[in-house]
This record gives sequence, structure tokens and C-alpha cells, in this order.
Amino acid sequence: MSTPVFAIVGHPNKGKSSIVSTLAQDESVAISPVPGTTVGNRRYPMIVDDETLYVLVDTPGFQRARAALEWMQNQPGSSRDRPAIVRRFVELHRDDPRFAAECSLLEPVLDGAGILYVVDGSRPFGEDYEAEMEILRWTGQPSMALINMIGSSDHSEEWSNALGQYFRIVRVFNALTADFDKRVQLLLAFGQLREAWREPLQRAVQLLEEEQGRRRKLAARLIAESLSQMISLTRRRRLTGAADRSTEIRTSLQQEYKQALIALESQCRSDVEQVYSHRHLERHEALVQLLDEDLFATQTWSLFGLTREQLVGTGAVGGAAAGGVVDVVTGGHSLLLGAGIGGLIGAVSAWFTADRVADIRVLGLPLGGKELCVGPMRNINFPYVVLGRALLHHKMVEDRTHACRGPMELAQAPGEFQVADAGSRKRLEKIFVKLRKQETLRPELLDTLADEIGKLM
Amino acid sequence: MTHTSLLSDLIDLDSALKRDGSTDLDSRKQRDRRIGRVLQQYRNNSVKQVRGWLRQVEVPGLKRFGQEGAQLYHLLCLLLIIAGLVTGAGLARAVLLYTGDRPINIVHALGLLVVPQILLLMLWLVSVFPRRIPLFSSLQSALALLNPGRLAGRIAALSGVEGRQRLAMLWDPANTTILAPAARWLFSFWSQLFSFSFNIGVLLGAFYTIFFSDLAFAWSTTLELDSASFHEFLSILSWPWHTLLPDAVPSRNLVDISRYYRLEQGVLGRGVAPAELAAQLGEWWRFLVAAIICYGLLPRLATLLVSWARFRRHLSHALPRLPGAPELLARMNSPLVSTAALQPETAVEIPFASQEAVPESTRYGLKCAVVDWSGTGIDADTMAGRLRAMGIEQQNRFAAGGARSTQQDSDAVASLCALRPEGIVVAAKSWEPPLLEFLDFLRAIRERCDRPQPLIVLLWGGADGVADADVETWRVTLRQLENPDLHLEVMDAAR
Repeated sequence: MSTPVFAIVGHPNKGKSSIVSTLAQDESVAISPVPGTTVGNRRYPMIVDDETLYVLVDTPGFQRARAALEWMQNQPGSSRDRPAIVRRFVELHRDDPRFAAECSLLEPVLDGAGILYVVDGSRPFGEDYEAEMEILRWTGQPSMALINMIGSSDHSEEWSNALGQYFRIVRVFNALTADFDKRVQLLLAFGQLREAWREPLQRAVQLLEEEQGRRRKLAARLIAESLSQMISLTRRRRLTGAADRSTEIRTSLQQEYKQALIALESQCRSDVEQVYSHRHLERHEALVQLLDEDLFATQTWSLFGLTREQLVGTGAVGGAAAGGVVDVVTGGHSLLLGAGIGGLIGAVSAWFTADRVADIRVLGLPLGGKELCVGPMRNINFPYVVLGRALLHHKMVEDRTHACRGPMELAQAPGEFQVADAGSRKRLEKIFVKLRKQETLRPELLDTLADEIGKLM
Repeated sequence: MTHTSLLSDLIDLDSALKRDGSTDLDSRKQRDRRIGRVLQQYRNNSVKQVRGWLRQVEVPGLKRFGQEGAQLYHLLCLLLIIAGLVTGAGLARAVLLYTGDRPINIVHALGLLVVPQILLLMLWLVSVFPRRIPLFSSLQSALALLNPGRLAGRIAALSGVEGRQRLAMLWDPANTTILAPAARWLFSFWSQLFSFSFNIGVLLGAFYTIFFSDLAFAWSTTLELDSASFHEFLSILSWPWHTLLPDAVPSRNLVDISRYYRLEQGVLGRGVAPAELAAQLGEWWRFLVAAIICYGLLPRLATLLVSWARFRRHLSHALPRLPGAPELLARMNSPLVSTAALQPETAVEIPFASQEAVPESTRYGLKCAVVDWSGTGIDADTMAGRLRAMGIEQQNRFAAGGARSTQQDSDAVASLCALRPEGIVVAAKSWEPPLLEFLDFLRAIRERCDRPQPLIVLLWGGADGVADADVETWRVTLRQLENPDLHLEVMDAAR
């Protein structure tokens, strides 16, 4: 069974490259308002592992269609000979720069490609299109007309009437706004051109749908990873020297913390865009707001990085354990006084010696001191804000076709993603609490978070 | 598959995934799918898949420090074993120190060599209890800090070798979500390794003292505790080994003769000959050793094995969940779907200066022939009015392009040149880009009319008006003609 090939043909500047870019999810396609940007054919095969399921061929637009048609019409022969006349035209004019565009676009058609004729439905129909439509009819190949809505006006009905005289199938397709479902519907429609193409195209659509599912899953995982890092992010700085530098250190640490949050979010955005093959996407987005004024905690850190509170806990438990030995040795007759007193002594001594430990230096390195710590983010709304932004970004990336070349305006996106479902919110809150407290963390927590995010997508 | 090689792979995989982020995504997709197909037999085992990938992949600039990290892990294990042996043997020697002045109090020996171990074991159990009980969680946090295994982690961080420092990724706060359970059980493993070695050290120290010196044990109390009760307590304590090692269960007679009163000499072993007494008092060692083995060594062996197994399990569990690993697995296991072009884009880049302002109309003061290109559909009055505003008087009107033949175009050129107009206006639809056949038409006018009169291209925007982008498209395209007499004008109701 031969691989279906579809040649995207038409007038210059009517969105052929946009349609190819959207269907092939390839942003490398040059889309320019200047006619003649596409100078030769470019093939966009859908390859799954080593199997090619279909090929799209982007072609240059007709430049001298009337002259080409006149040449063909001047050739002797009946309507049955028309495909052969077109072939002869291409053979004779292949090296003629006047008909370079016509020869390029007709070559794949003569090799058996289905014709996808693209027009701009936002502009009125013109009689100058008739020559190129007639040439395409002469090829005898199965064809479909696509009305691409580039502008805001709608002349699609006028176009449908005109195109209906030349093409069996006429469809309206907006290459800039078509979501995934519309794209696959169009691919399935290509299968109507020839019976033998239906099956490979159905298979292609099925694989594309599976791929889309995988992309969503991956995007959810990336958002989960980023969110978890953002929630648990901390930045610490040792406080040394004069106390008057504290404010300076605070400012610089807060800046560092904010930058780290921004970097994490930005990295997540880029990673999600990569998943959807948007590699050079420019985006405009307001920076994440921190929501929480009180980000700082000054802690005493001591031996092995334990805080004063942790040291007290450690001292208490240690003391209680030592005192407990006394209780055991006395056969319980001490009424657990050993453990109690031991715990108290351990806690008190740890509290009073914490600062002293901080002053001790071993091999020139201090065993402790004071440090300023910013994070983890305690504001309970923070994860929801970050998640909402990430979901909104994902939605826009997922829906964005590769024909769109301008920056993505996240700030101007309508509406905001909110986790309205109480069940989801409850499940998410459980995870966020664990991440905030950094307790009972397990790798499965990220799996669960990714699943929950996936459900919200 | 040992946990050390798992550890080594975890360190290497983390480095590889971080480093791989700079590789182009398409290259990664192709490479990983290829490796995924080679490792097809491990499709249902993500751990084997990522480890297999690690063996096969070549990431540019990747330094594999896994082996060095594993070496540090081994070194720390060795240090803990030595420390456990030395402290255990030292404690046993100190507890069993017997100068002959006074027998060793068996209760003290038990209290120091066995009871703390039971207590610590209970604390260990508390610390590994699932943290779902709120009451336990704060206690567990404190116990986690007490864990001597954490010290090993701190020592690891002091290592100056870069590769060895990679071991610290296990307890790096940035990896907490993924690696916290593995780190927790690693610390537990290290602490149990120390404790197990400590018990071995205690036994070695005890055996050394028992073999190479004579020991006498006794028991003593101020309370009204009779021998029968004490014997009963010891029997309960000895229950785990009473069938296996009956000699290690103190007899009632031994308990009787071992009771020691410091107040009177000869109270110990009343009625028993000194030589026989010395031999009998030494019999306690069997009980002491059995108690250390039963309540110290064997539980520690069990906790050591549990910790080892849990550490290994959590390492395996973390491996396919490292940041980037789920994406890697997806790339390996999913068909490689490519829809993009295989060849690079070769389109011609034509500079598009959209910033250029739309030209203001000039007053020409000319009598011009007018060509309607490709059926603009402009009515005669509108056209005449607009031309008048530009200072142009319309002479004759021709039609070309569109549904007409190229011969008709040629005839139209010939006719209008014959008129020898002062200028020529070609009205065209602004939304249709200027094709090469339009440029051919303009060239034909230039060639056929023998004098260089102004050639004005007048853009008509229809109901929507002329878009600035369309004007720019026309301007850029017409510039290719390099005709100094060529002018671009806009006929727009809005202007």
C-alpha cells in the first residue's frame, strides 16, 4: 500500500505554509507575508518509528497560472489527455525559471499526491483563481479545497460556491486557531479523497491522539515537579559580621529566593512548551507574586546544621534515654523520674549550649552560627496560584498551533484556572501540606500530584 | 543487583539526566526511542529500563561519579563497623572488669550491655513507624536527628572529592520529595550497621575477657527480693533460648549462691567450697552472652537486614522517578512520532519592514491611462473621484489580468502605450499579493511604452480597506523591479 501524499497548493500568501505548520506541528516552516517565500517543495512526513503514515508537501504558490494554462490549452488532445499534457508541461518547463513555481507544485501531484487547495476565506473570491483551479483539475488527482480564515471578514460562502465547481470536498479550516480535535478531523477528511488512504490516516490520527495523551501526562509531571520544588524552595545565608548588614543580606536573600522561584516557573514553562514542540515560543507573562510578606526566619544553626529547637529536642530525647537506663536498672522503682529528669536536663543544657557550640571552630570552620532562611512558602494560596498559572499556560500551549508566530500573551488570557472541585482541592491540599512541611515525603507523592494535575488539564 | 550498584546508578542517572537537558529534544527522542527498542524486554520494569539506558547512552560532557559515590558509601560502612567493634569491645571490657575484690554484678552488666539496646531498639521501631499518627511524628523527627547514621552523612559531605560528594544528593533538600525515604533508610542502615558491629564488639570483648581471665558474677539488692523471684525473672528473660541453650539458663541454685551481701564476708555462696564457688559464679557468662545475642545481636541483625532491604527498595523506587526519568521512560516506550520536516527550511528571507509608514498621497497633476488589474470591482465614480484627489485625470480605462488571457494583457499594454499618456495607473486588489505575472505586466509597460512616465500602482482594499501589512507586502515586492518611476498609492475610503 502506497503512502498517502498530500500537496498543499494554491495562490501565494493564502496560508499554505500556515496549514502545513499547524498539521506538521513544525514551527520551522517559514511563514511570511511576502509572496515567494516558499521557493521549493518541502516534505513533512508523519513517521512513527520507521513507518511513514502520510506526507504533506508544502509547495510554492502559483505565479504564472494563466500562462501555464494557456500553454496546456494550446496542446492537442482530448480531456482524457489532460493529465499527460500537464506532465508534458512540467517535463518541458522544469528548467524554465518562468514556470519554476508551477513545475514545483505540480510535480508531487503528478507523482500521485492528493491536492489540498488552500484559499483565504476572509478575502473575496477573484477570477484570477480560476486558472490555477483549472490546472489542478487537469491533473486528474483527487482534491480538496480548504478555506483558510486568515482575517476577520467572512467570504467563505462565496468561496464555497466557487470552489464547489472544481473540488468535490470543500472545508473551512483556520490554521491559526484550530485546536487538536479540528486538526485530526481534517486529517481524517483527507482520507475521503481516496479509499486506500483512509486506513493509514485513521491510524495516524489514533497515534496522534495517543501522543497527545502522553504529552499531557508529561506536561502534568513537569508541572508537578516544578510545583513541588517551588513550594519547598528555601534559601539560606549565614549571618556573619556586623549586625547592620542584616538588612542588606535580607534584601539580597529575598531577591535570590524570588529569582529562584521565577527561574523554576520559567523552566517549567519552557519544558512544557518543548513537550508540545514549541521550541522558540516567546511569552509575555506577569511574574509570580509571592503573596506572603513574612518569608523570613532567623535560625540558630549548630552542630551538623541542627537548629536550636532541634538541638533541644535531641537533648531531651537523649537525656530521657540516659535517664531511662537508670529507671530500668532500678526496676521501675524510680517511677520514671530518671527519664523525666534526664530529658529535662538534656533539653535545658542543649538550649544553653547551642550558642556556645556555634562559637566553636574546628579546623577553622565554625560548628554553628546564625543564618537567615527564606522559604518554604507558607501561604496556602501560593500553590494554587502557581498551579492555576501553569494550567493556563498549558492550555494555551496545547491549543496554540505552530502557525502562530507572535508572542503568547499569558497576561491577557481570558479567565483564570481555579481548582473549583472540592474533592480535587482536598486531595491537592493534602499533598501541598506534606510538601510545605517536608514530612512523610515519598516519590509516589509526585505521581499523585501529577495525576491530580492531569485531571485538571 | 546490589544496592551499591543501584546507588552508583542513581548518582550517575541524576547527573546524566541533568546534563542531558541541554541536548536537543528531537535528538533525545530519537536516541532514547532507539535505546528503548533495544531494551524492549524490560518494558515492564522501569528500573531495569533506566539502568539499561544509563549503560548505553552517551551524554556529551557527562562525568560519571557513581562509582566514587559508592566507594564513599563503602568507606563509611567500614568506618561504622570499626567504630562499632571498638566501642562494643571497649564497653564489654569495662563492664566485665574484675579485679577479684568484688564480683561483677550481673544486673549491672545486663543493664549496660542489654537493656539500653532493648530501649534503643524500641526507639528505632518508633522512628520507622509510618508517620500517619500525629502524636508520633514530632517524636520521630527528634529520633531521626538522634540517628547516628546521620553522622555518617555529615562525614560524607566533608569529603573533598567531587565524585564522593555526589553521595550527598540522597539527603540534599532539593531532592527530598524523591529521595527522602531512601535517605531515611540509608541512615537507618548505617545506624544498624554500627549497632550490629557494636554487638559483635561486645561479644568479642566479652569472650576475650571470659577466655583469658576468671570472672565471678553475683547479684545483689537492698529490696526484699528473694532468690525465687529473681530466678523467675531470669527464667522469663531466658525463655527464648531455654530449649536451645539450657546451660545458659541460670539455675535456682546458681541464683541462690550468687546473691551477694557486702555487709558480711562469706555471705556469698554460703556453704560452698571456694574453688567450686568460683567455678559456679563464672557460669553466669553463658546467660550474659545468650542475653546479648538474643536481645542485642539478633534484633540488630534483623533491623540491619530490614534497613538494607528497605534502602534498596527505596533506591529502586526512586530511580525511575528522578526528575527527568519519567520523561525518559516515556521517550523510550512510546513510538517516535515525527511530523516535522526532515530537511531544513530553505525559504527565501525577504526583509519585511513593517515599521515603514504608509505613503501619503502625492498630487501628481497628470493625465493617466488606467488599468484595472484582475477585476478589482471598483466602480467608475469612486475611481475617478480618488484619482482626482491625487491630481490625476483619467484618460482611458483598460482591463488586464484575472480571467483575461496573457494575449489580452499584451494587447492592453500596446493600446495604452499607443496613447502616450503622461502616466499610467494600475489599480489592483490590495489583499492579493503581487504575483510574478503582475510584475511581468509592469515590466511589459516599461518596455513597450517608449518614455519613462510615472507608473502608479493603486491599491484597492474593498470593503475592509487596505491593511498596512498588505501595503508593506506590495512595497517589498515592487521594490524588486528597481523602477524609479514606480509609485505605490492606496485607494482607501478611510484615507
